[in-house]
Amino acid sequence: MSLLLLVPAAVGLWLVTGGRALDAARARVVAAAAAGVALALAVAVTVARPDVDLAWLPELGVRWSFGVDGIAVPLVLLTALIGVLVSAHAWVDVPEGGTPATFLGCLLIVEAGALATFTARDAVLFFVAFELVLVPMWVLISRFGDRHDERARTDAGHRFILYTAVGSTLMLVGILALVTSAGTSDLRALAAGAGAALPADRQLLVAVLLVLGLSVKVPVFPLHTWLPPAHTTAPTAGSVLLAAVLLKMGTYGLVRLPVATVPGGFGRLAPVLAVAGVVGIVWGALVCLVERDLKRLIAYSSVAHMGFVALALAAGSETGLQAALFANIAHGVISALLFFLVGGLKQRWGSVDLTVARPALRETSPRLGFLFILGLAASLGLPGLAGFWGEFFSVYAAWLPAADRPRALFVGCAIVAAVGAALAAGYALRVARTVWVGDRPDPEAATATPDTHGVELVVLAVLGTLVVVLGVLPGPLLAVTADAAAFITGGGGR
Amino acid sequence: MTTADLVTVDAVSLAPALLPALGAVLVLVGDAVLPGRRSWQPLLGVVVLAIAAGTALATGLRSADDPVRTLCLPGPDGACLWTAGPATGTLQAGILLATAAALALLHDGARGPRDTTVTTTLLLAAATGGVGVAASRDLGTWLVSLELATVPVVALVALRGTRTASHGALTLLVTSLTSFALLVLGAALWLTATGDASFASDTVATAWADPHRRAVLLLAATVLLSGLGFKLSLVPFHAWTPQAYSTADLGTAAALAGASKISALAALLVVGQALVGAAVDTGSVSVVLGTLAAASMLLGNVMALRQTESTRLLAWSTVSQAGWVVLPVAALSAEGLRAAGAYVLVYAVATLVAFAAVAVVGPGALERTRGLLRRDRLTGGALAFALLVLAGLPPGIIGLVAKVVALRPAVDAGLWPLALIAVVAVVLGIAVYLRWFAVLLGEPTTGIVVEGEAGSDVGEDEAASGGGPVAAPHRGATAVIVLGTGILVLLSVFPGLLLGLLS
Repeated sequence: MSLLLLVPAAVGLWLVTGGRALDAARARVVAAAAAGVALALAVAVTVARPDVDLAWLPELGVRWSFGVDGIAVPLVLLTALIGVLVSAHAWVDVPEGGTPATFLGCLLIVEAGALATFTARDAVLFFVAFELVLVPMWVLISRFGDRHDERARTDAGHRFILYTAVGSTLMLVGILALVTSAGTSDLRALAAGAGAALPADRQLLVAVLLVLGLSVKVPVFPLHTWLPPAHTTAPTAGSVLLAAVLLKMGTYGLVRLPVATVPGGFGRLAPVLAVAGVVGIVWGALVCLVERDLKRLIAYSSVAHMGFVALALAAGSETGLQAALFANIAHGVISALLFFLVGGLKQRWGSVDLTVARPALRETSPRLGFLFILGLAASLGLPGLAGFWGEFFSVYAAWLPAADRPRALFVGCAIVAAVGAALAAGYALRVARTVWVGDRPDPEAATATPDTHGVELVVLAVLGTLVVVLGVLPGPLLAVTADAAAFITGGGGR
Repeated sequence: MTTADLVTVDAVSLAPALLPALGAVLVLVGDAVLPGRRSWQPLLGVVVLAIAAGTALATGLRSADDPVRTLCLPGPDGACLWTAGPATGTLQAGILLATAAALALLHDGARGPRDTTVTTTLLLAAATGGVGVAASRDLGTWLVSLELATVPVVALVALRGTRTASHGALTLLVTSLTSFALLVLGAALWLTATGDASFASDTVATAWADPHRRAVLLLAATVLLSGLGFKLSLVPFHAWTPQAYSTADLGTAAALAGASKISALAALLVVGQALVGAAVDTGSVSVVLGTLAAASMLLGNVMALRQTESTRLLAWSTVSQAGWVVLPVAALSAEGLRAAGAYVLVYAVATLVAFAAVAVVGPGALERTRGLLRRDRLTGGALAFALLVLAGLPPGIIGLVAKVVALRPAVDAGLWPLALIAVVAVVLGIAVYLRWFAVLLGEPTTGIVVEGEAGSDVGEDEAASGGGPVAAPHRGATAVIVLGTGILVLLSVFPGLLLGLLS
C-alpha cells in the first residue's frame, strides 16, 4: 500500500531533483517503469485491499492511514493507468520549457498526489494529499505549457493555483470545523455517523465550506473559470492528467466529505448544487457551440460533464451516487482520449483553431479520425459508449431524487439536463463536421496530417477500448461501487 | 547565604541563558588577552549557542507536567521566576539556533563586519535575553530580558556605519523605545489590576471577577500586546521592518527575522499563558489579537506582492507571517499557544534558509536569483523549498501542517471571520512566494547552461551572474542552508516531531 504511493512520489522527486539532467530517452524509461510499477501495485492493492495505519501527528489525532474501498478502487486504477499512458506519451511528445526529467517527474508527483488523495482515510491527510498536486501541476502549466504565448501561460498557471488554493483552503477550514466538532478525523468514523450526529447548523456550515471549496476543483459553475485557460495552455500530458485525474479529486472529495460525513447539511445545500450543476451543463454546451479553439472546447465540455456529476450527487439517492461515480470514471477515460487526440492534432497542425479550413481527418488519417469520432460520440453520450450511462443515470437520479429533496426542482433540473445533453450532441456534431468531414480534400496538403502509429496509437487504442468496454459492460464497474455507495447513502444516519 | 535562603538557584537549569552570557564574557576577555586575533570569536559563539540549545532541548523533551523550575521564592507556594516547560525549552532552543544562524551569516564571506568582538557579544547578549524572556514568569525579568533581546540588535543595525543604516537604526531605536514605553505602561497596569508582579493565572482570575479591575486588566493586556506588536512587526506597528531589513547587514536582518521574532512570541506566550490559565472569557483580547493578525496577514502579503528586492520581500513576508503566528494565539487556548510556537519555529527556519540563500546570491533585485535552480542546485533548491514551506505548499509539507495547526484553534474557537481572512491570506501568500519561485525556475539570463553539464558550470555561472563579490566561499551561509533545509525536510516527513517537542 505504501509502495503504491512511494514509488511514483520517490521516482518523481528524484527526477525533479537529482536526476534532472537525465536526457529524454533515459528519463522516460525511468518514468514509464515507475508508472508501470505503480499500475501493477494498484492492481495488487485493489485485489488484496491492504491498509496502512500509523501515527503521524499524534497531537492532532491525525493518522497516516491509507486504504481503498469500492469508491476508491476505480479511481486508483484509472489514475495508475493514466499515469502509465502519460509517461508513455513522452515517446510521442516532450514539451519544451525545462528538462524532460523535470517534466516527467512532475507528472509522477501529480500521480502520487492523486493516488494519495484517493486512498487517504484521514480528513487532514486527505487535505495534504490534495495540496500535493498543486505545485507540480503549476510547473507543468506555466513552464511546459503552450510555447506561443508566455503571458497566457503564466496567467493560466497562476489562475489554476490560486483558484484551487482558495478552494482547498476553504475545504481545510471546513475539514477543521468538522474534525474539531466531531472529535475525530478518521473518514470511516465520520462517515459511520460521527459527522451526522452534529447539530444541524454546524452540519450546514461544514457542508457549505466543503462544497464551496471542492466545487472549485470539480469545477462547478460558476467557479469553473480557471479550467479552460489551464487546459488550453497545459501540455498534452498535463491536460490529460488535469481532466482525467485532478477533476476527479474534486468529485471524490465531494463524495467522501460532505455527502458521506454531513448528509444533513449537504441535503440542505443539494438544490443549490443541483441548479449550479445544470447551469454548468447548459453553459458548457452553449460555449462549446461557439468556441473556436478545439482544446478550449473540450475543456468546456468537461465543465458540462462535471455538471452531470454534480447533479447526480445532489440527487442524494443511491442511484445518484452510483451515476456520479460512473460518470466520473467515464469522463476520465473520454476526456483523456480527447485530450490526447487534440494534443496530437495540435502538434501536427500547430494550432487547433476550428475556423481554419483543413482537409478531412477521415481522409488524411483514418485511424486518428476514427478514434476522434469515437471520443466525440462517447462525449455526447451515445448509447453503447462510456459517456451514456453516466449521463443517463444522472438524469434518471435527478428525476427520482432522495425523499428529502424537493422533487419539483429536481425534475426541472433533469429536464434541463436532458436539453443540455441534446446541446452536447449539437456541438459534438459541429466539431465532427469541421474536423472529421473537413473541407475539400486538398491533394497537396494530404500529407500534412500524418496518421497515428506506434506508442501514440497504443495509448489512444487503450483508451478507445476502455470507452467501448465501459459502454457495453457497465455492470462490473457499477458492482464495484455498489456496496460503498449503499453504505454512504444508507448508513450515514439519514 | 542570604540569597540562597531567599531564592533557590539551579545553574544547570539556567544553562540555556547562562551559557550565551558566559560566551559573551569569554569573547570580551579573549579580545583583551589576544587583541587583533578575532577569527575564533564567531566560532566560539556558534559552539556556545549550540551547546546551550542542546541543554534547552533537554528541557523540551521533558513532560509538560514536570517543568524545569528554579529561582523559586521561599514559602510553601513560592512562585518560581524561571519556569520552563517543554514548549519553552523548544522555543529557547529555536532562539539559540536562530541566533547561531544569524551569527554565521553575519560573519560570512569577505564583507564581514569589522569588529567581530562587538557583533558576537551583541548577538550572544540578545540570545540571553530571548532565552530569559521565554522562561520568565514575573514582570521584572520579563521586561528586562525582552529589552536585552531587542536593544543589541538595534546596535547591530547601527554598527554598519552607512548613512542609510544609521537612519534605519534610528527608526528601529525609536520604535523599540516606543515599544518599551508601552510595555512598561502595560506592566504597570497589569500590576495595578492583579496586585501581583508575576504572570500568574490565579491573580488574573481574581482580578477578572471585579469589573473595575477587569477594565484595567484588559487595558494592560491591550497595551502589552501593542508593545509586543512592534517586536513581532504586526500591522500597524510594522513600519520599521522593511527599512531596517534592507539597510542592515543580512546577518542582522536574519537576527531580526529569526531569533528576535521567536523571542517576541515567547514573551507573548508568557502573557497568553496567564490569560489562558485563568480560564475567563477574554473575548475582547481575542478581538484585538485577531484584528492584528488579520491586518498583518493581508497587508504583509499585499505589499510583498509588489516588492522587487529580495530583502524587502522577506521583510513584508515577515509581517504577514507574524500575522499567522498570532492567529492561533487569538483563540486564547492552550492548543493555540502551542500552535503559535510551532508556527513561529517553522517560519524562522524557512526564513533563515531564505536569508542564507540571499546571502550566497547577494542581496538586491529578485531578478538576481533568476534561474538559480539551474545554476546552483543547492542554494536554488534550498531557497525554493523554503519558499514552498513559507507558502504552505507541498512538498514543503511542514509549512502546510503549520498552517493547519495554526488554523485549527481559530476554527475550534469559532473565530470564523478570522478563518476566512486566513483563507484569503493563504492565497495571497501563495501568489507572493510563487512569484519568486517562478523567477528561480526561469531561464538564467546570463551565461548559457548546458543541461546535463550543469554541475561543472555552476562556478562559472555564479561568478558571471552575480556581478557582486562572490569570490569568498560562503561557508557560514552554506552551513545554514544545509542544516536548515535538513530540518525542514525532516519535519516535512515527520511533522509529529515538532509538535511532540512542544507538548
